[in-house]
Amino acid sequence: MSSKEIHKTAPSDKISFGQKFSYGLGSIVNNLLGGAIGYMSIVLNVGLGINPALVGTLQAIPRLTDAMTDPIMGYISDNTRSKYGRRRPYIFIGAIFVGLTFALMWQLPGGYSEMFYFWFFLIGSIIFYLFYTIFATPWVALGYELTSDYHERTRLMGVMNFMGQFAWITLPWFYAFMENDRFFSDSVQGARTLAIIIGVFVAVVGIMPAIFCRERFVSKESEVKVKIKFFEGLKKNIVEFSKGLMITIKRVEFLKLCAGTFFVFNAIMLVGAFSSYLTIFYVCGGDNDMGAKYMGLFGTVTTFSTLAAIAGVTWISSRIGKRKTFIIATSIMLFGSILKWFCYDPMATWKVILPAPFIAIGMGALFTLMGSMVADVCDLDELETGERREGMFGAIYWWMVKLGMALAFGISGFLLNATGFVVDFGGAQTSSTFFWMRVVDVGIPAAGCLIAIFSVASFKITEEKSYEIRSELDKRRSKTISTEKVS
Amino acid sequence: MKEIKKISALFFISLLFLLISCEEGSNEIDGKKPADVKSIVITMIAKSSANPVFESAKIGAIKTAESLSEKYSKLHVSIDWQTPDNESASEQAEIIRNAVQNGSSAIIVSCSDIDTLTQAINYAVDNGIAVMTFDSDAPDSKRFAFYGPDDLEMGKKLMNELGQLINGRGKIAILGGNKMANNLQERVKGIITAAADYPDIEIVGTYYHPETEADAIAVMSEVMKLNPDLKGWVMVGSWAFFGEKLNDVIEPGKIKIVAVDALPVQLKYIEKNYVQVLLGQPTFTWGEISVEIVIDKIYFNKKVEEIIRLKIIPVTIENIGGWSRQLKAWGYKDVPEKYLGM
Repeated sequence: MSSKEIHKTAPSDKISFGQKFSYGLGSIVNNLLGGAIGYMSIVLNVGLGINPALVGTLQAIPRLTDAMTDPIMGYISDNTRSKYGRRRPYIFIGAIFVGLTFALMWQLPGGYSEMFYFWFFLIGSIIFYLFYTIFATPWVALGYELTSDYHERTRLMGVMNFMGQFAWITLPWFYAFMENDRFFSDSVQGARTLAIIIGVFVAVVGIMPAIFCRERFVSKESEVKVKIKFFEGLKKNIVEFSKGLMITIKRVEFLKLCAGTFFVFNAIMLVGAFSSYLTIFYVCGGDNDMGAKYMGLFGTVTTFSTLAAIAGVTWISSRIGKRKTFIIATSIMLFGSILKWFCYDPMATWKVILPAPFIAIGMGALFTLMGSMVADVCDLDELETGERREGMFGAIYWWMVKLGMALAFGISGFLLNATGFVVDFGGAQTSSTFFWMRVVDVGIPAAGCLIAIFSVASFKITEEKSYEIRSELDKRRSKTISTEKVS
Repeated sequence: MKEIKKISALFFISLLFLLISCEEGSNEIDGKKPADVKSIVITMIAKSSANPVFESAKIGAIKTAESLSEKYSKLHVSIDWQTPDNESASEQAEIIRNAVQNGSSAIIVSCSDIDTLTQAINYAVDNGIAVMTFDSDAPDSKRFAFYGPDDLEMGKKLMNELGQLINGRGKIAILGGNKMANNLQERVKGIITAAADYPDIEIVGTYYHPETEADAIAVMSEVMKLNPDLKGWVMVGSWAFFGEKLNDVIEPGKIKIVAVDALPVQLKYIEKNYVQVLLGQPTFTWGEISVEIVIDKIYFNKKVEEIIRLKIIPVTIENIGGWSRQLKAWGYKDVPEKYLGM
């Protein structure tokens, strides 16, 4: 960018710190809700004796319904016309009800059969995910439209991603909290209390974006509402929804971002178990205590590096643009992934920590830049279709992330078996098993990074292009009377 | 950037408060356990202090006791390690009686002799002390549980490993150790049972001997002289690998050998191809699992299985590195350095 001028954000495009902070609070809630069930579900097995296979089913089924409701919610939110906006009413109501449902679904009574708990939790989970979608999909969309400035979007996503990390720091402590016999008689009682705490937190903090953030696109008082019959309206909506869905998933620039996210994020998810097993069983020779210590240290280094990386990436991208920043950050992550091969060393166990900061840079950059770049795609989409469909884009994007995660967790077990890993052998796995585990642990994230770099390298919405689109849209909006900008 | 600076400041202030409160909390945990803390002393009696496998069991027991005490604020578990210097059933029985007198909460014992220990175990149980056995059982005693290998299955596994190595064909011999030892007898029985599935394998005999390296080597030499076409040995113990004498009587790889136990001193025989498969026992878990079982039984009042089986790990040249690291992690001090990086 040395020869190019860097655009400065106009004062009218700047989002106040209060709004950014409020939006970031939504990120804490979103991540907390996304991770809490996974971290707390151990209680279903350990505390209530539910078969692990049933616990797995309990986690899988609601996610399937969740995957189906996301795009529908995106469409509903995009097409809502109210004086409070298209997003805020859902965020407000969704946060309250998702908090309430979360607190209730963990109030599992004692002394019932395994199948009772299965159905109780399954029904609770499906309702929970429904309200989670009502909260999260409009909240994601709100982030894409809070500002139309290329750089301010990245700053907003930086703040959002930075604050969202606090949820990931908290989640690993849940089990220790529920198991603490100073507070609770057993882990089930611990889960009941923790769920109430989380529920209240979610309901109170989750409504903050709805209260303090301002939507840019709200309907005018004068907007004409046409009354149509129910079935006619339903048919029209289904047609519109299908059309919108097809347009979204055919948008090439959007698909590039999806591919970038899918391959980087899910590659890391896929090998998560491999990294843990290699640390405990290969590097630490089956010493669980030492392995746990290194994994804890790895997690701490990753957390602080991610926080630093988000700040750094936000700053750098305003100098060299999002695409270049993403490529650099992902290249550093690629280096960190390859470095793992050399750092799994049983003779120098401490080396296992070294790749952590490099990998964290890529992960920190991923959701900061991708969120901002999806918002740029939404502008391009509006330019070409005349519609603002942040809800649909956000829903499809996160649907793809969730689907990828489910696939990654599913494939991970099969891959582990394919390496010849036998859990009963502990640290005494064969050399070839350890070799193939390392190949997977290093190779898949490295390949994921390369594919992501390749996908995003041809992303066309540069800083210049983004400002051109913005200018066109501003001209077009000034001619229309149906929407107005609300700062 | 400005926003992130502000949030970073908030984050680090929160972190500081968190650390301060954690520090206060940890003081409470370290210094002041609740008044109603239950103190459990487990007397653990292995066969012999001279045997390194029991040192690993001791480390497993102590680490588990510490971990349980840390996890549960109202529980304090300690291990009173009482093991004779050399194998002596009468000394073990005496330790059990002393543990009863001293108010031990539970006893975990590996029995050197069934009859002597059965009486002592029954005495302890009659006095209200929970007793479980590990490694070597006293099945007719009043002990509530046993944790150890299934010797019959181990014998079958030995035979199947050798069967594969010699392609299911040829003469083999069984090195049986002490004929009076029940666990070894079970292993021999398992070998003979599994051999029925290999019609082209002939067992030339089962050879018993005093459990020393010299006696084992002497028997092997004799048998190989009488059977020059011998294809393999199945050994229910590893006495032949305790020193260097095996080098003089056998050519590496010519006769296939599978044996029980995979201690550090034996690993060089795998590396040099004198022996192809050793069945290793995770001896650390003798202490780890036994302590967990005792706590489940006497503190949590959980129903525990009477027989809990130890999982056997086959050790070959393929996993000699992993096994060596695992042995080191379990507390073995004499693991050759060269294997740790393999």
